[in-house]
Amino acid sequence: MIKKMRPLMIVEDSDEDFEVICWALQKTGFAHPVIRSERAEEALSRLFPGMSQLDRIDPLPCLMLLDLNLPGMNGLQMLEELQQMKQKLSTPIVILSSSDNPLDIAACYRFGAAGYIVKPFKLEQYIEKIRDLTRYWFNTITLPEEKCDE
Amino acid sequence: MTVTNVDLSSCDREQVHLVGAIQPHGVLLVLEEPALRIIQASTNSADFLGIPCEQLVGQCLEVLLGDENTAAIRAKLVAKELTKIFSHLISVSCLLHQDSVLHISGNRIDDLLLLEFERTTGTVDVNPVYECSSSFQDMIQQLYGSPGLLSFLSIVVEQVRILTGFERVMIYRFDRDGSGVVIAEAKDIGLEAYLGLHYPASDVPEPARRLFALSPLRHLPNVDYVPVPLFPDRSPLTDGRPVDLSYSFLRSVSEMYTGYLRNMGVKATLVMPLLKSDKLWGLISCMHHSKPKYLAYEQRFQIELLSWMLSLRIGDLENLDHHAYRTQLIHAHCQLIGEMGRVKSYHHLLFGSKINLLNGINASGAALIENKKVTLLGTTPSAHQVGLLAEWLGQQDFVVLATHCLPHDFPAARDFSSVASGLLAIRISRASLTWVMWFRPEMLSEMHWAGDPNKPVIIDGEGQESRLQPRISFALWKETVRGYSEPWLDCEIEHVRKMRQSLHDILIEQTCQLIRLNTELELSNQALNNFVYAASHDLKEPLRGIHNYAELLRLEEGEHLSGQGHQRIETILCLTERMHHFLEALLEYSHLDYIEQDFQIYSITLLVEEIVDMLKKTNPNESITVDIQPAMPDILCNSTFVKVIFQNLIMNAIKYNAEAVKTIKIGCYTTNGMPVFFVQDNGIGISSAFHEYIFQPFKRLHGHKEYGGGSGVGLALTQKAITQHGGRIWIESGEGKGSTFCFTLTPEHVEEGGE
Repeated sequence: MIKKMRPLMIVEDSDEDFEVICWALQKTGFAHPVIRSERAEEALSRLFPGMSQLDRIDPLPCLMLLDLNLPGMNGLQMLEELQQMKQKLSTPIVILSSSDNPLDIAACYRFGAAGYIVKPFKLEQYIEKIRDLTRYWFNTITLPEEKCDE
Repeated sequence: MTVTNVDLSSCDREQVHLVGAIQPHGVLLVLEEPALRIIQASTNSADFLGIPCEQLVGQCLEVLLGDENTAAIRAKLVAKELTKIFSHLISVSCLLHQDSVLHISGNRIDDLLLLEFERTTGTVDVNPVYECSSSFQDMIQQLYGSPGLLSFLSIVVEQVRILTGFERVMIYRFDRDGSGVVIAEAKDIGLEAYLGLHYPASDVPEPARRLFALSPLRHLPNVDYVPVPLFPDRSPLTDGRPVDLSYSFLRSVSEMYTGYLRNMGVKATLVMPLLKSDKLWGLISCMHHSKPKYLAYEQRFQIELLSWMLSLRIGDLENLDHHAYRTQLIHAHCQLIGEMGRVKSYHHLLFGSKINLLNGINASGAALIENKKVTLLGTTPSAHQVGLLAEWLGQQDFVVLATHCLPHDFPAARDFSSVASGLLAIRISRASLTWVMWFRPEMLSEMHWAGDPNKPVIIDGEGQESRLQPRISFALWKETVRGYSEPWLDCEIEHVRKMRQSLHDILIEQTCQLIRLNTELELSNQALNNFVYAASHDLKEPLRGIHNYAELLRLEEGEHLSGQGHQRIETILCLTERMHHFLEALLEYSHLDYIEQDFQIYSITLLVEEIVDMLKKTNPNESITVDIQPAMPDILCNSTFVKVIFQNLIMNAIKYNAEAVKTIKIGCYTTNGMPVFFVQDNGIGISSAFHEYIFQPFKRLHGHKEYGGGSGVGLALTQKAITQHGGRIWIESGEGKGSTFCFTLTPEHVEEGGE
């Protein structure tokens, strides 16, 4: 029985960064489908379609990579929004940001981030970090199943 | 024994007011209240009152004046609340001398009542009353028409001479030192002129000056009078002390005084004090040379009134003398105030070509001393000399200081007395040691003394037994006076006092402005830092994109690229990486401002050891010897900053070092009680030509490929971290000689000036 693979959601406004992430994921042999939101607002409406009267198109993502520096609602505000919602999300959120400001990092964890990756400058380091990430979240850790969310 | 030290010690000591005798032109009774019982009487009582003193003592006043007159005196005593000051009470006749009317005046002193009796008629030289009154009226009219003090006084002396019949009337003004000068004189033809003559302070000794200020008028009708003693000579009510006659009109005068007058050829005198603001300003002195002269009560009364009136006018008239000058000074001050809004600093204000410190004021030079910096204008002593003067002023407690004999007050000023014998100085601010000074040149003048001022007395006899005699010679004695300038006028002192207030206001305004600018600067610094942080952060993202794309291109499309293409991709990667480091450094530099200002006591030794361990681990391929002084002090500091400091200095010591074994010495010594830390290496050193630049951000002394290519921010960061502690950093190094970076982590002691 082939288990249907739940997607990885990436919230990233920069095409270049998105491309590099995808490239790195591909290099590490990541097989899950990837869905992208360019804005936090878009991501929220995809996660909770009831709010915008839309039918759920995508299955719920098993993991979310969230950029902090986004147009409109930023990553931190999105975390805050999620924490205040009655309906709690079971999807872990890992922050992927260029900021290494300790205040940003602490705030993200405070608002429920499951991890924080500082975007590395060099490509090889990118691959390294993405490899570690997927190994941890998809091999080491057991993620919740979708039906439990419904 | 020198002449100078006898004159004052002897004459000033003579207790003129306790002589226990009177002059013969009246009678003195000492009474006990409330019974008005006579306890002492002058021995001439029989002549005036018809009763010998022996019979009067013990009697009540009624026996002498009758019940009615005594009752009238009692009523006056109650009504007048008689004090020490002599006051006219009544004019009556005695029971035994009904034909003559007596003026009775009195005062109270030491719980005694003193009554003086003086005849209204008799041997008195009186002008008809109406005549007196009319000439008095004339005089008042003339006085109010006079344009200034001196012309006013010359009218006064002439009128007083006419009014009293005295052969000579002078006005004598006291100087600061007690000496005096005759400034107005009216005299009979044939008498030698005293006008313009100076008299040494000892001629009117201090006790005499004091007594002059107490009584409105002193009269000596005959210098050759025989003093009339009191009977009994001591009162039983005063514990055997003589009665205090300080305020008494009839009081006998000092033998020194009569002797002095005799030597001058004077037979009778009348002296009235001139007061300005309750201080003895001068005297109206009347002299008769040919024969004794008694001036009756009625005439004296007029003259007395005149002297009071004069006293009230002196201040005004002195001002009147300088009316035009005052106006000029006010104008200069107004100009200065007008300029205040337009100029940036004191210097511009006080040393302008049109408007400056010398505007309006009669001074030949001026100076501003601000924090030991001297600015000069006009004819002045040298900057160094003005500096000395400022030092001397620093020891005085004053806001406005005026002297017209600076070399006498400050002996070092003798060197420049020709340009600055007069000094007018204002202190603007004690804290910033700011003074403004005006100078006046020496005025070489001839002083005309009435006799040798250095020999005011003659010593009769030898040594301890010597007796003092008033001087005999009043021959003109000329002296050249040195070290004096024209004295500063009240209006000039007032002018600089106003200047001081205005300058003080500027100072306060400048301080406020400075605070405001500082706040603005701090805010704009903060804003700049915020901007740098945000900008470098935002620049990192596209830079990373470029870098990643170049990398992707190399990895994915590498096989399609030529050798040169590969080279160019490598260059893009290299440049973007360098720019990345640069932005990182910029971020770190601006980030220092965001670090919490958390200052605690830390062991510097422990902090250094921690950093050295870390650096050794991150540079495993280097051979490094670090010698850390074991007992460096514990210091109040911010540990993050201190780590930044040592980390950068040690990193540099490793980096800019070509030796096989890199030796670093870290330690601390103490200078002026302040710990100075140092990091010393055996590295390449820095040429002294660069020492002043190395702490500037992004200043690099080496190429990007030499010594690991730093960002140029390390030392700037270090300096910033040190500045946050109030300390400073400096370098001792030469090319190829290794470097020693020294720094402090405490604010240097700032010398508090002035207060």
